[in-house]
Amino acid sequence: MTAISPATLLELYESMVTMKLWDQTALRLLQEGRVLAGYHSGRGQEAIPAGGVAPLRRDDYLMYAHRGFGYTIAKGMSLAAMFGDLMANTAGATGGLGAGIPHFADPELGILGQGGTLGSCFGIATGAAFSAKYRGTDQVVVCFFGDGTANRGAFHESVNAAAAWKLPVVWICENNGYAVSVPVAESTAGRIVDRAAGYGMPGVRIDGMDVTEVYRATCEAVDRARAGEGPTLIEAMCHRFRGHYEGDPQVYRTDEETERLLALDPITNLAARLVADGIATEERLGELEVRVQDTIDRAVEVASSAPMPGPERLYEGLYV
Amino acid sequence: MSQATTTRTLTFSQAIREALREEMERDDRVFVWGEDVAVYGGIYGATAGLLEQFGPGRVIDTPISETMIVGAAVGAAITGLRPVAELQSSGYFGIAMDELYHKAARWRYMHGGVFTVPLVIRLPEGAKGAGPEHDVSPEALFLSASGAYVVIPSDPADALGLMKSAIRDDNPVLFFEHAGLYAYRGEVPAGDHLVPLGEAAVKREGSDVTVIAWSRMVGESLRAAEQLEAEGIDVEVVDPRGLRPLDLDTILESVAKTGRVVIAHEAPKTGGAGGEVAAIIAEEALEFLESPIIRVASADVPIPQSRYLQQFLIPTAASVTEAIRRLD
Ligand SMILES: Cc1ncc(C[n+]2csc(CCOP(=O)(O)OP(=O)(O)O)c2C)c(N)n1
Repeated sequence: MTAISPATLLELYESMVTMKLWDQTALRLLQEGRVLAGYHSGRGQEAIPAGGVAPLRRDDYLMYAHRGFGYTIAKGMSLAAMFGDLMANTAGATGGLGAGIPHFADPELGILGQGGTLGSCFGIATGAAFSAKYRGTDQVVVCFFGDGTANRGAFHESVNAAAAWKLPVVWICENNGYAVSVPVAESTAGRIVDRAAGYGMPGVRIDGMDVTEVYRATCEAVDRARAGEGPTLIEAMCHRFRGHYEGDPQVYRTDEETERLLALDPITNLAARLVADGIATEERLGELEVRVQDTIDRAVEVASSAPMPGPERLYEGLYV
Repeated sequence: MSQATTTRTLTFSQAIREALREEMERDDRVFVWGEDVAVYGGIYGATAGLLEQFGPGRVIDTPISETMIVGAAVGAAITGLRPVAELQSSGYFGIAMDELYHKAARWRYMHGGVFTVPLVIRLPEGAKGAGPEHDVSPEALFLSASGAYVVIPSDPADALGLMKSAIRDDNPVLFFEHAGLYAYRGEVPAGDHLVPLGEAAVKREGSDVTVIAWSRMVGESLRAAEQLEAEGIDVEVVDPRGLRPLDLDTILESVAKTGRVVIAHEAPKTGGAGGEVAAIIAEEALEFLESPIIRVASADVPIPQSRYLQQFLIPTAASVTEAIRRLD
């Protein structure tokens, strides 16, 4: 296993910190009544979007999930545009259509959007990977989805076709143990990673709370896909720290369970490692956090100053 | 345009194939996929010979995975390709409904217009003795799928010209082909024959009554018009050639001229698109109507497999003739 360079570790750390501070800021805006949509916090699961997107090139494709906004943050989406979408104003990437379950996209960055019906990602990922192969590029598609979403029939149809056609896709399942309230053991036969064998592709189960594991596994899978060797399934075991949505009473788990999770925080754990290994000082990490918060605050400011759309917005962009 | 003076005779199925072939020759982003479309040439022969000409990279047999066929076509369309995907029967719409209704139709709009979704989904429809799930004509289900075009040819010339336009259009197009029409022959203009989407065709001019019909019911309505001519009733047959974009101008102009309307389609009356067309006419042109609008459609029952029973259910020229005679 190749070592991850100190510079990359710091980048992964910064990426996760951005996601965490974005999340805190979004929650504050939500409390202030400035968010016109629901929000599914990604707190606790930052290692997966950070480690799963970092290996991608700018022109690689991303199908993201609804758990936080980390995937698109990592792919370089404008922070102001994302805040604008939360506020449903014209600063948003959708120009005011709003996007709590994010429906923003940026073709320049390979961000292909997200459906509100879970499992939409599968077919589109297979199609984008087919397209890359058809056009003779070496672009790769990474598709994120939850353990609950893995039980959609669309998973089978799309994963099967991608494997049969050796398409360049990396399927990353974030197994946080729950689909809203239903524990994975009650809904899911066998281990999700074991499905890979059924499709004749490599599958790995990793610790999704450790960004270095996610990064390494994704790098390997991306290399394989880019080399024309077909798809990989990664099952990243993880924990969501907050409710499924803000306001979720979480009757399906105990307070002790959620409190115990905090010790597994992927960001504080990486920070401790960076300090212990002499890659960064606590002071430097503190400065990084201040800088990131500053960037986020400026993005909120930009987004806040944009006007709401007029009713004519409803009729724009439907047909070409 | 000089070539347009000559014509060739093609079946409806050959016309679809010619459209695919011409567009694949013109634009290498166009590809075809679906079940049995490659080696077998499509169960209605509409893709026969394409594999030999364009190879397995562009003519692709898929697994029996309708959700993937449509979903992945959307993924290919938003990343620079122009897929033509075939569902072996439009009766399988339910398996791909999320992908048709939400993904194909709405991906562009819901993401703020940053993509185009230039794809065509071919949907064979209509009664052919294959049973209640296969023999449907489900075009009206997509009336509310704003964002997607709904195109329905009724003869080989329109099949070719509309398919070529559909492939070139940057909007997603649901392209319904009546299975009972595939073997039907007709004259097709030679050359680059394009029929614009959303332009109705007055298939027969008349002054007494307007029959608005699409798909197989256009031919049935033309036969009805011939019969009634002998009785001195002058029937105009308007084929909207699809439901969206809907050419209201041509429809309303005809209604204003004749003052009498029959709407004919093969789908069951309740929930059929005739209801929508009738409502539009009532809203926009009630003052011209001299008689209530009559809808000619199948009864509200599932379509039995038995062709014997189908003859009592599926509307024909006689149904149209009978309806016209009932008008005031
Ligand atoms: C097809 C579909 N069914 C149900 C829902 C409602 N829903 C939204 S998120 C969710 C749970 C998803 O669980 P999982 O995939 O494990 O992701 P997680 O929320 O745990 O990150 C459900 C049931 C939906 N959006 N789409």
